[in-house]
Amino acid sequence: MAAGAEYLLPEGLDLGSADTLFAGRLEVEGERVRAGRRTFYDTFDGRLHAKGLVLVHEELRFALREGARERAGLAHPEKAPERLAVDDLPEGPLRAALAPLCGVRALQATASVRGRRRLLRVLDGERKTVVRLVAEEATLSHNGSGPGVTLRPRLHVEPVRGYAKDLKRVRGTLERDLGLVAATEPLHDEAVSRAGGAPGGVSSKVALASAPDLRADRAAAELATRLVAVIEANLPGTLAEIDSEFLHDLRVAVRRTRSLQRELRSVFPPAPLVHFRAEFRWLQQATGPTRDLDVYLDELEGSADLAPLRAVLAEHRVRERAAMMRALRSPRTQRLLEEWSTFVRRMPDAPRAGRDDALRPIAAVAAERIARVYKRLVRMGAAIDEASAPEALHDLRKKGKELRYLLEFFAPLFPEPAVGPMVTSLKALQDTLGRFQDREVQAGLLRRLSDEVAQREGGGAALMAMGVLAQRLDRDRARARAEFAARFGAFAAPGQRARVRETFR
Amino acid sequence: MSQTLATYNIKGGVGKTSAAANLAYLAAAGGARTLLWDLDPQGASTFLFRIRPHVKGGGGKLVRGKSNVAKRIKGTDHERLDLLPADFSYRHMDLALDAAKKPTRRLKRVLAPIATDYDYVFLDCPPSISLVSESVFEAADALLVPVIPATLSSRTYEQLRGVVAAEASGGPKVLAFFSMLDRRKVLHRDVVEQLPREHPGLLRTAIPTAADVERMGLHRTVLEEFAPRGRAARAYRDLWSEIGERLDDGAG
Repeated sequence: MAAGAEYLLPEGLDLGSADTLFAGRLEVEGERVRAGRRTFYDTFDGRLHAKGLVLVHEELRFALREGARERAGLAHPEKAPERLAVDDLPEGPLRAALAPLCGVRALQATASVRGRRRLLRVLDGERKTVVRLVAEEATLSHNGSGPGVTLRPRLHVEPVRGYAKDLKRVRGTLERDLGLVAATEPLHDEAVSRAGGAPGGVSSKVALASAPDLRADRAAAELATRLVAVIEANLPGTLAEIDSEFLHDLRVAVRRTRSLQRELRSVFPPAPLVHFRAEFRWLQQATGPTRDLDVYLDELEGSADLAPLRAVLAEHRVRERAAMMRALRSPRTQRLLEEWSTFVRRMPDAPRAGRDDALRPIAAVAAERIARVYKRLVRMGAAIDEASAPEALHDLRKKGKELRYLLEFFAPLFPEPAVGPMVTSLKALQDTLGRFQDREVQAGLLRRLSDEVAQREGGGAALMAMGVLAQRLDRDRARARAEFAARFGAFAAPGQRARVRETFR
Repeated sequence: MSQTLATYNIKGGVGKTSAAANLAYLAAAGGARTLLWDLDPQGASTFLFRIRPHVKGGGGKLVRGKSNVAKRIKGTDHERLDLLPADFSYRHMDLALDAAKKPTRRLKRVLAPIATDYDYVFLDCPPSISLVSESVFEAADALLVPVIPATLSSRTYEQLRGVVAAEASGGPKVLAFFSMLDRRKVLHRDVVEQLPREHPGLLRTAIPTAADVERMGLHRTVLEEFAPRGRAARAYRDLWSEIGERLDDGAG
């Protein structure tokens, strides 16, 4: 279907007489001006925006739109909420459309505008509407007081299905005869930007944006600074418990920071680094138990027999979360983030003693590290056989994460054909190792909690179900263990090794 | 998945098109993505929505699956309401169906690719019992049957239930309602009194005979647009909400 568009209207145009703009050029019938508020929603990481979708609350209903076309709607005869969990929506088309897009992510109001709109119908000879024009003037609403920000008035061109030729004709008239200029971004994006947000959402991905010959310590500082920004961006959502992905992304950024500290330690001043490494380790440990329980509760099946287990896990989570909140709100966390930021910002001026790689080009240092970690992984993996202890696989997984993060940080510096296959085979290996470890941890947790569950009402039946579950976890773990050899074989294949030698030297 | 509702009666001139157009409008106005397929070669619904009665390639190509249905759909003047226009070639649809493989499944097949685009699909059917109607019975979740209160209406209704039961196993629900009811006529009053006793499944709402309904053709739009406060518009609103309840409660 032909696409709609948005044009900027001259400032100060009266909506009531907007139809006169087209006199003699288009047959237009204007409806009355309607005033109202519209609130836009997206996930924190902009999942709807990425798919070209907009979720809006207006006139007491939600509508999920793709351009002018509504994909799904839902009556909501209440004020627009600040936050919306997909699971809380009633079964129906809107929930069905949103669930696969949002996953565990909640929807948050990204901007709200108050405005006046007027529908102008472009008619054909039968007086049938063939294109809808909507003239709109809007003001950004603030949560607090103070004057709103006025957005530029716009004319939305909304196609009517099956009338592509008329749409083309109308757009031609608007552009050529009336000289209207197309808006560079849709109104809801402008509203989000002007409200201080990012229309595409906040990404938690961090990769080096600078040139390969940048000094290694400056490159490390750039990455560390962006990682702190990710941690800080996800902190409010973690504390407010908007969805479980905030904590996850926060933890990944902490882990990446620790990888950066370890892998590029030869660019950091050594003595302060020891302190910061210890502090970030503490931060990671403080957030670990809550995340583990989030994952466990999410994966736990819905069978009624397991209700006592679910209750025990939920209680544990409440306790762990309280401890985590204390840690995240503590001066210690705040100090850590501030001091680490200042430290990395000033690093390029720090004495050179003990940081031999600081002045070398980052591409050279990164290549060395990637080659070394890869080699180490190959050596560690090759030493694993049927008789190896589980710890050997756990250690391998940890090392694998280091490599994964290095590749993510520095991918832009190296040719994609070399990095791509390496990432693919590494991911497959890590998935297997992850499953092996997770199932072991989960089965262990089941056994540890059995006494506590047994004392609950319905505990007997729950224990039976837990036994079955533990057995399944063990089987799944054994399957992962059996997969290991093949996965590792692909990762350490001669072709792969040659590519690594060739690319990262 | 969409729900498919067909306005159907063996007889003509009983208010099928009026019901299809007004109910489809109400569905869309209530927030549902709605498609109205005008299957009647006379194209009355198509005319009401001011759309040209033309389907590129004709109805034959459409039912044989040789024509992209999504490209034949036209937007109406109303949000969320689309229309698949009638075409004069639909008068040969029986022949086209007869020539196709598994003729009674054809309409369902045509609708399959757009099933997720709509919450409701209304079929405005031509009067008759034919391959077209058999195909409609296969495709529809419910038949909306306007019945004029007359001496033979009970027989017509029974006939239809019999046909539906014989044609399709697990076939559509039959939701019949009185149409063109004139309370000044003794016969109408008697039938409206009597028939529901024999057939408790009949819908309670009756559509009155009203000048407004006749004027739809003049205004070329639905009742809500020019006579929303009239008796007929009110009756269609009640009918739509009653149909909603009956679709929800599962019983046939």
